[in-house]
Amino acid sequence: MKQFESEVPSSLPASRLRSVRYRMWGVVAVLFALWAVAPGFASRSVIDMLVFSGLYTIAGLGVAFLLGQCGIVSLAQSVFYGIGAYSTAYCTTHYGWPAPAGFAIGVAISAAIALAVGWPVLRLSGYFLALATLALAIIGQVLFTEWDWLTGGTLGIGGIPHLNLFGFVLNSPQRFYYLVWPVAALLLLLHRNLLRSRTGFAMRAMRDAPAAAAVLGVDNHLLKVKVFVLSAVLGALAGSLFAHYVSFVSVDSFGVDRAINFLLLAVLGGAKTVLGTVLGALFITIMPRLLSRFGDIHAVLFAGCLIAAVIFLPEGFGGALGRMAQRLRARQART
Amino acid sequence: MAALLEVKQVSRSFSGLRVLNNVSFAVEAGGIIGLIGPNGAGKSTLFNIVSGFLAPDAGLVLYQGHDVSRLSVPARSRSGLVRTFQTPQVFANLTVRENIMAGSYKQTASGLTAGLLGTPRARADIARMRAAADAACERFGLTRVVDQLAGKLPGGQQRLVELARAWVSEPALLCLDEPSSGLNSKEVARLMQTLQRLNREGLTILLVSHDMDLVTIASSIHVLCFGEIIASGALTQIQADARVREAYLGL
Amino acid sequence: MSGTLLLQSALAGLTNGFVYALVGLGIAVIFRGTRIINAMQGEFALVGGMAAYLVLDRLSFPLAFAALGGIAAGGMLGWLTDLLLVRPTRRRGGTEESFLLLTLGIAFAISAGVLFIFGRDSRLLPGIGGETSQIFFDAAIRTHALWLIAISSLVMLLLWLFYHRTHIGLSMMAASIDEDGAASIGIDVPRMRTLTFLLGGLVGGLAGVLVSPLITIHYEMGLLLTLKGFAAAILGGLSNPFGAVVGGVTLGLVESLAVLSVSSGYKDVIAMTILILIMIVLPNGMLGKRARKGG
Repeated sequence: MKQFESEVPSSLPASRLRSVRYRMWGVVAVLFALWAVAPGFASRSVIDMLVFSGLYTIAGLGVAFLLGQCGIVSLAQSVFYGIGAYSTAYCTTHYGWPAPAGFAIGVAISAAIALAVGWPVLRLSGYFLALATLALAIIGQVLFTEWDWLTGGTLGIGGIPHLNLFGFVLNSPQRFYYLVWPVAALLLLLHRNLLRSRTGFAMRAMRDAPAAAAVLGVDNHLLKVKVFVLSAVLGALAGSLFAHYVSFVSVDSFGVDRAINFLLLAVLGGAKTVLGTVLGALFITIMPRLLSRFGDIHAVLFAGCLIAAVIFLPEGFGGALGRMAQRLRARQART
Repeated sequence: MAALLEVKQVSRSFSGLRVLNNVSFAVEAGGIIGLIGPNGAGKSTLFNIVSGFLAPDAGLVLYQGHDVSRLSVPARSRSGLVRTFQTPQVFANLTVRENIMAGSYKQTASGLTAGLLGTPRARADIARMRAAADAACERFGLTRVVDQLAGKLPGGQQRLVELARAWVSEPALLCLDEPSSGLNSKEVARLMQTLQRLNREGLTILLVSHDMDLVTIASSIHVLCFGEIIASGALTQIQADARVREAYLGL
Repeated sequence: MSGTLLLQSALAGLTNGFVYALVGLGIAVIFRGTRIINAMQGEFALVGGMAAYLVLDRLSFPLAFAALGGIAAGGMLGWLTDLLLVRPTRRRGGTEESFLLLTLGIAFAISAGVLFIFGRDSRLLPGIGGETSQIFFDAAIRTHALWLIAISSLVMLLLWLFYHRTHIGLSMMAASIDEDGAASIGIDVPRMRTLTFLLGGLVGGLAGVLVSPLITIHYEMGLLLTLKGFAAAILGGLSNPFGAVVGGVTLGLVESLAVLSVSSGYKDVIAMTILILIMIVLPNGMLGKRARKGG
C-alpha cells in the first residue's frame, strides 16, 4: 500500500524503483477491484460483516493512533462510539432532524467531552492513564444505562432512519458497504497525511523520547489532548454510522467489552501501521462469526489473542506483514 | 554586555537533602562556559533547573533578561534555550534524517488540521524541515547514515544526531549535559572541534562535563561542589585553586 | 437523614472498604515486588470465589476447605501467570505498556472464560455465621462482614511481619528495591518475582472468598474490584502497601455515603470518578511520600 512507499530504499536504481512501484500499484488495483465487486458475489451476512469491519476500522483508527503514535492505551473509545450513536439516534427519532445534524452533534459532544476530560487525565501517563480510560469506559456504560430518558437505557432507541445520500437510501448492507469503506479509506488517507506532517513528527518524537521532544518545543500535553480529541471524533463518527446502519441501538453495544474490542483491534492489527488497523478490524469481525457455533468463546479467544500479540507479535499483523514485505523487497533488490 | 543566562541564588532540596545551595553564576552571550564538579555535586539538578525540567525552591533563572524560573520546557525552547541529555535522547524509531527534521519543529507552524488535510502549507513545512535536516547532516558528517534508524546507531553517532538536531532548532544557548560520555578520544576531539566551530558562528554554549579535555574549550569554568560554586575562572586558574584540588583529590 | 441509615451505610462502606483494601494490598504487593501494575488482581478474587464455590458445591467439602481451596486457586493463578506469561514477556523486553496490556488481556480472558464456562448467573457462597447479623445501635451488619474485617486486618498484620521479619520476605523486598544488588548476594530474583505473584494471588483469592458471600460471584466482578482496589492502593500510597487499608476504607465509606444522596445505580460512577480524581490530584496518596506518577 501507499505507506510502504517511503520505505523503499532509495539506493535502488531508478528502473528498479519504477518496477517496484508499478508492482505495488498493481497490487492496490487488484485489491480495489476485489473490494468493488465483493457485494456482487458474497452473501448478505458476509457483506454485513464487512460493513462492521469498516465501522470498526474507523473507530479503531482512533485507538490505534493513540497507541501507536503517542504510546497511550485508551479504553475510552466505547464511550465516544456510544455518544455518536445516541446523538444521532436521539436527534433523528425525537426531533426529526436530518442525519447530518445528528452526526455533527455527536462529533461535537464527543470532542467537547474528550477535551474536558482529556485535559486533566492526559497529564497522567502509563498505567495510570490506561486505567483512567478504563474507569471512563465504566462511567460511560453506567451513564448510558442510567440516563434512560436520553438513551432508552437497556431498551435502547429504535427506528433510526436509514441514511439518504442524494436520494439514494442506504437500506441494505450492500449499499452501506459502498459508503462505509470510502469513508474509512478517506480517514486512513488523512491519517497517513498526518503521520507525514510536522505534527506527525512531533507525535512520534513524543512517543520515543518525550523529554527530548519537549526540548524541541513540542508541548506534549497539548498534543496528547489534540490526538485524544481526534480519536474521539473518529469514535463518534463510527458510532453515528453504526446507528444508521443497524437502526436500533442499546447500551449493550457500548460497554467495556466494546472498548476491549477496539483496543484488541489496535494491538493485534499493529498500532503503528495504517493497514494494520484494517487487518485488526477484519479479524475482530470475522473471528466471532467463525466461532459462533461455540457460543461466547470468541471473547476468551480475543483476550487470548491480545496476550499472544503482546508476547509474540508486539507489532501486530500489520507490523509483521510490513517487515515481511520489506525483507521481500530487499531480497528482490539484491537479485 | 548583558548576560544571556543568569542563575541567581538558586537552591533546591530533595526530601530534606539540600542539593543546591544559593548557586549563582552567569553565562555571557557568545562564550563557552563550563560547569564541572565531582559526582553528586548537583550539576544535573542545576542543569534541569536551567532547562526547565525542575523548578528551584528559591532563586531565579533569568534568560535574555526575563525570569523563566517557572516557564515550561517547550516555552524555554521557543526562546532558544535548548539542551541535550546525558544519555543521548534520539528518537529511536525514526531515521537520522527524521530525527533532525523533528528539530525544526519550532521553525514551522502548520498544525494538526493542516497536517491531516495535507495542505500546501503543511507540505511546504515538511520540505523546509527536510532541507534543513539534509544540510545539518552534511555539516555534522551524518550523510552516510541518514536513512538508518537512530536507535541502531552507536553512541557516538547518536550524540552527533542529537547535536545536529539541537543545532537545527536554532538555539541561542545550547546546554550540553555530559556530551562526551561514551565517546572515545578521537570522537571527543572531533566534538571539541565541532563545538568550537559552532561557537565561532555565534552559538553560546553551556557545558557540563567530567571530561577535563573537553572542558579546555571553555573560556570560563565554574566548579560546583556539594551544591555550591567553589571557584570560577579560566581553566588554569581553576586548576591552581586549592579548594578545587581538595574537592577532587579528596575523593 | 436518620442516624440509623447513616450508620448502616457507614458499616456497609467499612465492609466494602476492607475488601477494596485487600485487593489494593494485592496490587501494591505485586507492584512493589515487580514494578508491574496488576490489572488482573480482581480476577484472582473471581477465581478464588469461584473455586471455593465449586469445592463447596461439587465436592461438598466443608466451608473451611472451600475457603482454603479458593485461596489456593488464587495463589496458583498468580504463580502460573508469572511463570507462563510474565516471564516470557519480560524476556522479550517487556515495556510498561506490554505488561499493562498483558495483565489487561489476562483479566479479560479470565472474565470471558468464567462467562463461557459458568454463564451469566451469579453464585452465592455462604458466609461465616451464615445469614446472621449483629446489631449496633439499630444498624445491622452481617456476622460475616465482621469476620471479613477481622480476617483482613489479621492478614495485613501477617503480611507486614512477613515482609519485615522473615528471611524470604526481606529477600523479596530486596529483590524489588535493587535487582542487581540482591542478585549479587545470592537472591534468586526471578524466583522472588514469582513468589510475589503467588503472594498477590493468595491475597486476591482470599479477598474473593471473603467478599463472595456479600456480593455474589459473577463474571464481571473482577474488573470493578481491580479498579476500586487500585483506587484504594493509590489513595493509601503505592509505595506503602499497608496504606491500602486507609485508602480502601476511605473509598468504601465515601462510596456508601455518597450513594445515600444519589441513586444506587451511580455507585460505580462515583467510585470511578474518585479513582480518576485521586490519580490526578493525589498520585502519591494521602500517606505515601515519593511521587510516582504511574509512567
